[in-house]
Amino acid sequence: MTMTGAAVAGGRGDIARTSLRGRIENHPFSWLLPVALLLGVFYLYPIIDVFRLAFTNASLRGGEEHYTADSIHALIANPILLDILWTTFVFTAGSVIGQQLFGLGIAVLVMRGERRRLYGMTALRTIVLIAWVIPGIANGLIWQMLFSEAPFGAINSVLRMMHVQPVAWLSDPNIAMLSSIISNVWRGTAFSMIVFYAALKAIDTTLYEAASVDGANGWQRFRFITLPQMRPAILVNSILITIATLNTFDAIISLTGGGPGRATEVLSLYTFNTVFRNLDLAGGSVLSVLMLIISLLLAVGYASMMPRREPNE
Amino acid sequence: MTSDARERLWDTATYLIAIVIAAFFLVPLLWLLSLSLRTRQEVYLGAARFIPKHPTLANFEQILSDPAFITYLWNGLKLSALGGIGCLLVAAPAAYAFSRFHFNSRSSLMMSILAFQMVSPLVILVPLYRYMSTLGLLDGHFGVTMVYIAVSLPMAVWLLKSSIDGIPKSLEEAAEIDGCSRFGIFWRITLPLVAPGLASAFILIMILNWSQFLVPFLLLSTDSKLPISVAIFTFAGTSNASSTQVLAAACLVAVVPAIVAFLLLQRMIVGALTAGAVKG
Repeated sequence: MTMTGAAVAGGRGDIARTSLRGRIENHPFSWLLPVALLLGVFYLYPIIDVFRLAFTNASLRGGEEHYTADSIHALIANPILLDILWTTFVFTAGSVIGQQLFGLGIAVLVMRGERRRLYGMTALRTIVLIAWVIPGIANGLIWQMLFSEAPFGAINSVLRMMHVQPVAWLSDPNIAMLSSIISNVWRGTAFSMIVFYAALKAIDTTLYEAASVDGANGWQRFRFITLPQMRPAILVNSILITIATLNTFDAIISLTGGGPGRATEVLSLYTFNTVFRNLDLAGGSVLSVLMLIISLLLAVGYASMMPRREPNE
Repeated sequence: MTSDARERLWDTATYLIAIVIAAFFLVPLLWLLSLSLRTRQEVYLGAARFIPKHPTLANFEQILSDPAFITYLWNGLKLSALGGIGCLLVAAPAAYAFSRFHFNSRSSLMMSILAFQMVSPLVILVPLYRYMSTLGLLDGHFGVTMVYIAVSLPMAVWLLKSSIDGIPKSLEEAAEIDGCSRFGIFWRITLPLVAPGLASAFILIMILNWSQFLVPFLLLSTDSKLPISVAIFTFAGTSNASSTQVLAAACLVAVVPAIVAFLLLQRMIVGALTAGAVKG
């Protein structure tokens, strides 16, 4: 290595700045290169290509490809699309509302229990969280064993023991949607619970003391302190679980397979069927673009409801 | 009624509600356990035999003595672990840069990495399926591992960045004075210090990879290459009412590793989740 005058005078730092290796090592982008490459190849390029494919007649069967707007027209003209979007809306709204209400309720309960030093609050939290690590496929299969109308179906066999008419949990189109939402709430509630639990812990307790001095009752404290303080957490959580629910695929395909009929066929499942059952790559790409647009609109919509940061924060 | 008595009444209510919630979350898993321990005859007796009269381990014997099933478990473990290691190797340098370098586009780059998390794997698999087929990467564990790495990258970068933020810079500065190169500092000083964070990120990513269904379902077709998540789905498709107890046992075997890993690292996983939530 040749010692330059600057290096002798300035020590190691100058070598680092002048030698090629040093320049590479000290530039942040060389550290980010592996991530950029992987995300570029496996996310960015496919996303761009989905937009391109949406304007073609591409099929997984092969054949000549050319640019056309036919796939987009075909989708808009397809009467099934409205049903799919409605199904997706009901499933997503039901899951998101159910998970948040339930998650908030459990978080408040655990907080109260911990404040009063009751037993078993950590155990309760753990039990709820266990459902969260169950793989989506197993989630669908487990709930199938609970909802089944066969003799081994847990819920109906209990109803029969109580001489109540069994319910067609999975074969009645209207009830199948409710069943799907219940199973999704079972698995997803843990995430909302833990987010809300953290947010509740972060609320300044002096706010509650001040409210008590002012004579606020329990409901008023919850309504005027807890809820406003938790608004950012609720909004962030809403974005995350809405998009997660929109992308839910495995838990539905293993519980109902989209049926009966199309009663529980949500947008992600419909996209999957279009591409990999009907081999219609262009049509599936149009649906994928639709999924991306819906996610983006939802994220922007929720973000615009976020409170602005106070200047002193 | 005094306020103390009222609080105690509320304590009782808290316990009662807690029991109902715990039951809602536990019963599905207990039902799975109950079915998996039954004989075929007892399966038909439904809830009356919640606790089987003649419990048997025959269902577990049947699936665990099946070499194909062991292969599915091994494939699941292998893909999850390779995906986890690969993800950390790619994510760690980026997390280091986000934590230790100061450059203009830092926060906007971090946000755009997070934005990828919002994209459904289904959307990227639609075009990827065709490329990978052209490149001959279909039906191989290499291709699946690469997609696993990409899918868990955004989360890994964020988790590791906050772990590296938590360790003091003084040791790194000492090493720099001793003439250690930047990469040497990262490799010999920062990574060993952040080992607990790496380990917890690794386990969390492994749990998520273990549940991964869509990617292997689409990219793999040879039976002996399938991971357990895909295998139980295929098995459920071919099973009928008379093999429900075997399906329950298979399901339980697929679920237990994830639960055990979670219980061992619960404190850390909850910590990582809540840290993100508070910052959110």
